[in-house]
Amino acid sequence: MKSNTQQTPKFGPLEKAFRFIGVNRIHIHILLILVSGVTLAPYLWALSTSLKYRVNVFTETPQWIPNPVNLGNYKEVFRMAPFGLYLVNTIVVVVGILAIQILTMSTAAYAFSRLRFRGSEGLFFLFIVQMMLPVHATIVPNYLIVNKLGLLDSRLALMVPFWATGYGTFLLRQSFRQVPRDFEDAAMIDGCSGLRFLYSILLPMAKPTLVAFSLISIVTHWNDFFWPLVVTDSPAVRTLTMGLAMFVQQESGADWTLLMAATIFVTAPLMVLFLIYQRKFIESFMSAGIKG
Amino acid sequence: MKRKSILSMALLLVVLFSAFPVNAQLVRLTYYYPVGVAGPLARVMNEYVEEFNALHPNIEVVPVYSGDYDPTMQKVQTAVRGGNPPDVFIVEISELPTLLAMNAIEPLDEFVTDEFLSDFFPAFLENGYSDGHIWGIPFQRSTPVFYWNKAHFEEAGLDPEKPPTTWDELREYAEKLTVRDPQTGEVIRWGVTISGGWNDWLFQCFVRQNGSKLIDYQERTAVFNSPEAVEALEFWVDLTQNLKVAPPHSTWASTPPDFVAGRTSMLYHSTGVLTFIMDSAQFDFGVGFLPGKVSYGAEVGGGNLFIGKGIPQERKEAAWKFIEFLTTPEMAARWSRDSGYVATRKSAYEVPEMVEYTNENPEYLVARDQLQYAAGKMMSPAFQRVREILKTALDEATAGRTTPKAALDQAQTQINRLLGQWLQQ
Repeated sequence: MKSNTQQTPKFGPLEKAFRFIGVNRIHIHILLILVSGVTLAPYLWALSTSLKYRVNVFTETPQWIPNPVNLGNYKEVFRMAPFGLYLVNTIVVVVGILAIQILTMSTAAYAFSRLRFRGSEGLFFLFIVQMMLPVHATIVPNYLIVNKLGLLDSRLALMVPFWATGYGTFLLRQSFRQVPRDFEDAAMIDGCSGLRFLYSILLPMAKPTLVAFSLISIVTHWNDFFWPLVVTDSPAVRTLTMGLAMFVQQESGADWTLLMAATIFVTAPLMVLFLIYQRKFIESFMSAGIKG
Repeated sequence: MKRKSILSMALLLVVLFSAFPVNAQLVRLTYYYPVGVAGPLARVMNEYVEEFNALHPNIEVVPVYSGDYDPTMQKVQTAVRGGNPPDVFIVEISELPTLLAMNAIEPLDEFVTDEFLSDFFPAFLENGYSDGHIWGIPFQRSTPVFYWNKAHFEEAGLDPEKPPTTWDELREYAEKLTVRDPQTGEVIRWGVTISGGWNDWLFQCFVRQNGSKLIDYQERTAVFNSPEAVEALEFWVDLTQNLKVAPPHSTWASTPPDFVAGRTSMLYHSTGVLTFIMDSAQFDFGVGFLPGKVSYGAEVGGGNLFIGKGIPQERKEAAWKFIEFLTTPEMAARWSRDSGYVATRKSAYEVPEMVEYTNENPEYLVARDQLQYAAGKMMSPAFQRVREILKTALDEATAGRTTPKAALDQAQTQINRLLGQWLQQ
């Protein structure tokens, strides 16, 4: 990686283009700071609101730094719903979905990109169609199946419908197809074929795709509200979004301090996850393919 | 030897217990409920259910918190379609025609008595009836009321104890209360805010005040462009466009905070926010009837209790016991104090704790007293689409893009097309 950074030219093509029209690094940084300010402001405002007393939320001049600070909202949020349990459930569900998804989609994508078999085109077409179905169209059929399997009101019910993914298969197939045939031939000569080729060569080379898909999958299922709402009844198996919903009210409008405290708690794990791994994420996009 | 005797003792116990199957007829009920107002109401509801279960050893109600009104309705719909209907549930009162169209609920005629029903406020019962049967029992019920900022009234030289009682007074007060930036003329504080989001609900109240109504569900008529409705919308346009003393657009959730922050002096909103305003406002405020025109007028809102279609008779009977438990005068009074909703029965206001409570907080009585002028909430098949049509007409007119008459004429055409068959029957 180090040698790589030294080799990169001082100015990328994009920067050259900017320099050509008289935009330099400082301009770009100012722009980026402004954009990140705009992106961060709502989150900071939520954080600030979550630490306020109710009477200080709506003041004539907006109050960014809560004064006095009130940690009671977080305590109150935990009193209203078992958020610790919800967090555990959410993690179990999100990880459970992703692990099986990677298994199913890597084998399927391998079949679609490397194997020739009768009906592969038609089958792949069905996978694409699955991608295009709006989620709401499948809610009732999925519910019926989960009910038949006797899985209603369990964490398994939250995972099963998402174990196969048309979208992931499609993404991975595309990136497998970009791996030159020569790799496979070389591997074959060395006696590495089939599944072993998939797991020791194809998948590592498709790491950027895997990382991107994992991010999308984690965020989607972390934030999913409707499916957990429909198939779960008891707090023991429910997820964070169900807890968050307790703070949104149609008739009266929300109690903002509690809603924001709950929001911060629900989104914080994802933020932390991204902060820790953001280098890794970006690296994996940069070192695409070549080094394996 | 000792081990053997323990074993035989255990065996004996097993035989004894299976001879008296204590739990054999345990009836288990699933109960979906939404939470419509702020507060730890899910916990309160669980307490009620636990008390019921303790009183009825052969019934176990399993409470299932199911989000807001819309998610609850969606959960009910999915469960009904999936052949697994909840035994008891609460949804928004205007959903009755949709529930009937889905064949999702049981009529309750066999359970109710005239004596039971006569104690409920008639306006609250209205949305429970269809085709001569009763389907829903009032539980968490609200109605719009009028809030005013007493400090602002004093500033503007108005009597802080006297809210406007007619549309004309409202217009006059709103003009006096609106504060504009002297240089730019921009509004700093609105005189009155008629909250958006559920503005269709509030508009129905204005039409009622003017002596008409938009949809008569029992008679199957829908008149959106009556002279009374047009006049009501003209009044709104007058406030928002001509006089610019009311904001043309707002959301349901943002206006109570606006009122609390002093950005509007008068507010049309649900009784559901009274507790929020009490807790948050740092000024004196009043709660009053919605100002009238021909008369006072309002429409009710909130959620009713229903029993799921096709459940076995023993579960149906148990479900009714649970509904009875939740709606006794004592429980209605307790729920009203816990949640801020209007208690659904007259005798609930005679329960000693409630008398004490309303003596301390007379604001909570305003909604009850307004009920004599209130009627059921507008409902019809395809109600969500009817709402959208009406809301579009209201928004177009208050934004000044079309005249009230043209907007409501167009709404009428669309409603006729949408409800044609239902209206002709």
